[in-house]
Amino acid sequence: MNTKIFGVELADELRGIVREPAALFFSIIMPVGFFALFVSLFGKFSAGGVSAGTTMIATFGAFGVISVVLLNPGIGVASDRERGWLRAKQVSAVPISVTLAAKVVAALPYAAGVLVAMTATAAVTGSLTAPLPALLRVLAVLVVGALPFALLSLVIGFQVGAGAAAAVLNAILIPASVLSGLWMPLEIMPAFFGDVARFLPTYHLAELARAQLTGGPVLTHVLVLLGFALVAATLAAVSYRHARS
Amino acid sequence: METVLGVRGARHHYGATQALDGVDLDVGAGECVALLGPNGAGKTTLVNQVIGLLPARAGSVRVCGGDPRVASTRRQLGVVQQSLGFPNTLKVSELVVGAAVRAGKPRAAAGPVMAELDLTELAGRRASKLSGGQKQRLQLAMALVADPALLVLDEPTAGLDVPTRRRFWQILAERRERGAGVLLTTHLIEESSAVADRVVVLDRGRVLAEGTPDELVARLPDRTVIARTVLGLERLQALPGVVSLRNDGEHVRLGTRAPEALLRVLLAQDPGLTDLRVEGAGLEEAVAGLIERGVA
Repeated sequence: MNTKIFGVELADELRGIVREPAALFFSIIMPVGFFALFVSLFGKFSAGGVSAGTTMIATFGAFGVISVVLLNPGIGVASDRERGWLRAKQVSAVPISVTLAAKVVAALPYAAGVLVAMTATAAVTGSLTAPLPALLRVLAVLVVGALPFALLSLVIGFQVGAGAAAAVLNAILIPASVLSGLWMPLEIMPAFFGDVARFLPTYHLAELARAQLTGGPVLTHVLVLLGFALVAATLAAVSYRHARS
Repeated sequence: METVLGVRGARHHYGATQALDGVDLDVGAGECVALLGPNGAGKTTLVNQVIGLLPARAGSVRVCGGDPRVASTRRQLGVVQQSLGFPNTLKVSELVVGAAVRAGKPRAAAGPVMAELDLTELAGRRASKLSGGQKQRLQLAMALVADPALLVLDEPTAGLDVPTRRRFWQILAERRERGAGVLLTTHLIEESSAVADRVVVLDRGRVLAEGTPDELVARLPDRTVIARTVLGLERLQALPGVVSLRNDGEHVRLGTRAPEALLRVLLAQDPGLTDLRVEGAGLEEAVAGLIERGVA
């Protein structure tokens, strides 16, 4: 990949975020606000030597990161399609994969920002008990593990308009988050939620992040997320070809 | 003359509809070729193949010898679309500099092109805030900064005022002198008559006629009878010597090679005829006549 071209594409995407931050502002405020509410209520409870406030960084963090990478690339692609800008990119000398990669990568600093804000909130409320290396592992797992969600976002962005993309992506994000226990622990939810959660990549991403704090098993979660990445990448490629022709 | 665009036997279909049916087309270096035809003629499909958006399902499309589906070949292409919505967040200078870098040119290449298109003073303005004419100039700047071998222009001057349009073609003439070929699609047939070296008329996916504007005009009616009449279109079509017929809402325009005979019959059938005049037929009448006759 030509780094100069990728740099230009990435700069354009970051300018889009900095100069029109309203959408991402809500992507940060909502999960961080929820996190602040729950961590102030339950953050100091402890299970297995790790405070609830710390494990919530994994679950609410998964919600925050997924909401950023699921909503923004797809809505961006749908908007670009509507205004003819994606077509302009397609007929330029830039491989479209570079354009799409820039959209995804540009969302990552915001995703990391969500996690930093949550960690700071947990620290301020006195419920942060994990060491820095474990927190960095959570950040790495969530940011890398969220990439397949960005591919799913592109799938929707290639298929529908910008307004519909926001609606469809939220219709995926919110139920998947609730069913996966990203807002409320599955232990206090009806058993049905846990049965469904095992089939959702959102659940496996949160559990993989939580395992970085609790030392739980990771293999199943990694395999499910790899499978999800494969399916999302295939769907994104098919959707792109469909949108292109 | 070096060929910058070569299309051979291009075919494409959408379901049962044959959009392109064996089209051949060449554009040489420095040459301007206008692609004309009614809606549904296949112009958009052909242009989409040329700019790499559609594969040639049969036949071949080559830009400077390369496949336009390949990104590196598209470095030889500059495209101006009929209407393009720029991102709300990007400024004029960022777009032109970005286009330069994407085409493998230095960032400094943007300045002279922006000056050439009178965009320097607009450099810091958001592109989405520009007027229609300014946006078209910006698109042209983004295309020209790559110094392309082939410019593909889709209705490039639609909505532009006359001075801007003249400046647009003046800049393109300078690029053509330096060797850039131009493929133009437009509904402004008289404009294409003025700027194109050759005209290719497409209809139902086939090349109906090809030649210089003068050659096409010479093939069909040399006079146009224009009038306001109460006669219906069917009756007008049946008049002797009518080879093309158009109604612009107020007047009918009858293309003919025998204007005297046609006028005699016309006045006999509609004594109340008004606003009558006879003009030399232009490319517009020639193209309309070709399409009506389906002349190949």
